[in-house]
Amino acid sequence: MPSVINRSAAFERLALPLFASLYNHARWLTRDEAEAEDLVQETFTKALRAFDSFQLDTNFKAWMFRILRNTFLTSRTGIAAAQTVFLEDHPAALDAAATDLSPEDVLIHLDNQAVLQTALEQLQPLLREVLLLCDVEEMKYKEIAVILDVPLGTVMSRISRARHTLRQLLQPQFGKIL
Amino acid sequence: MNQLTQSSEHLGPERLNAFVDGELSSAERQGIEQHFAVCHACALRVLSVTQLKSATAHASRRFATSPEALARLTAHLNSQSLAQAQIKRPTRLFSMPSLRPLVWTALAAAVLLTVSVLGWRQLHQSNSLAAELLDQHLATLSSGVSPQVISTDRHTVKPWFQGRLPFSFNLPDTSALPEGIALKGANLTYLDGQPAALLLFTIHKHEVSVFLTQRAASSRPTALSTTRAGFTIQTAASPDLRIVAVSDVNPVELNNLVTVLVTAQSHE
Repeated sequence: MPSVINRSAAFERLALPLFASLYNHARWLTRDEAEAEDLVQETFTKALRAFDSFQLDTNFKAWMFRILRNTFLTSRTGIAAAQTVFLEDHPAALDAAATDLSPEDVLIHLDNQAVLQTALEQLQPLLREVLLLCDVEEMKYKEIAVILDVPLGTVMSRISRARHTLRQLLQPQFGKIL
Repeated sequence: MNQLTQSSEHLGPERLNAFVDGELSSAERQGIEQHFAVCHACALRVLSVTQLKSATAHASRRFATSPEALARLTAHLNSQSLAQAQIKRPTRLFSMPSLRPLVWTALAAAVLLTVSVLGWRQLHQSNSLAAELLDQHLATLSSGVSPQVISTDRHTVKPWFQGRLPFSFNLPDTSALPEGIALKGANLTYLDGQPAALLLFTIHKHEVSVFLTQRAASSRPTALSTTRAGFTIQTAASPDLRIVAVSDVNPVELNNLVTVLVTAQSHE
């Protein structure tokens, strides 16, 4: 019994500080308050059960986010979301991003939170997810690759596409300020 | 005439983003930084992506957890670990007294965690605020972006904000400004999710950004100074306002300006 308690105490010490981050991420995934809380709770339950298999030298935060994501993908909302077709890292789209540099050249005044939040909502879920992990959770590309279970190159191209698309979504709002 | 050396090649979008995300090796970074010296377009693109990144971080961190939700989670976890403990230990040993230490431990852990989460969040917030301040200051430095109000006259600048901001502020008269300090103009901006007045000053040849935001009555009046990437960030407060100045000028002169601005708030 003591080992079980020590183990769950150790788990809580590592996991509870991630609650706010995981919940914020879950809200963006599920777009629903109650569902997000359930998702986080299930993530913690699963993680606690699997904690024995967690290797202490690996990144705990990335491990938790991976469980969160996999739990979401097997939920009803997640299955529905996965069925929306995603243009998986289409080379043509990347070429367009490489040549069409003008939006990148424009400095925009990102002084309106609501406008940016609307643009983030309009972003494809797979692109938004990668931006959240990179910009909000400040994870390295390597960790994101583990969470999303994709090659590093895919992470790079998704981030590039995500920012490019986000800027395009913001463009009509701001016009050319420069 | 062909100067297509490595440092004159434009950055591809993936490398540009990887650079901003700090994913490149120091050798690669150096090459790119050399390129910025000769390529204004790429330097501007990096600034632009950096701005977008920090704005995304800020706008996306929008769903806060409630203490009740945390309590529900810890209760749930405790019931989970109890259930596991019961499976592993023989039932005849199970008795109420043996549960007590566990409950107390859990409670103490929850309290400690709440405290540490709060502390961590504060640290995190002040760090991201410093980054945001710096980003906005750097954006004002880039050429081609002119302030929304261009004026050295406080009688033009101050009224411009009326109706644009949910608070008002006083500007010192030109004669009250320490020597070498001049008002250049102003912008309306957002800082830490709040509307803010951005006043642009110069101290000798150094550009200074001063952000004025409304101060919550409950927040502690802090006057602090930090440096970040060679820039000084100085914070002060009047009864109603929080005043933050960012510049690469020497901290003493920056402090002079901040002091004058704080003093001006107590007039009228």
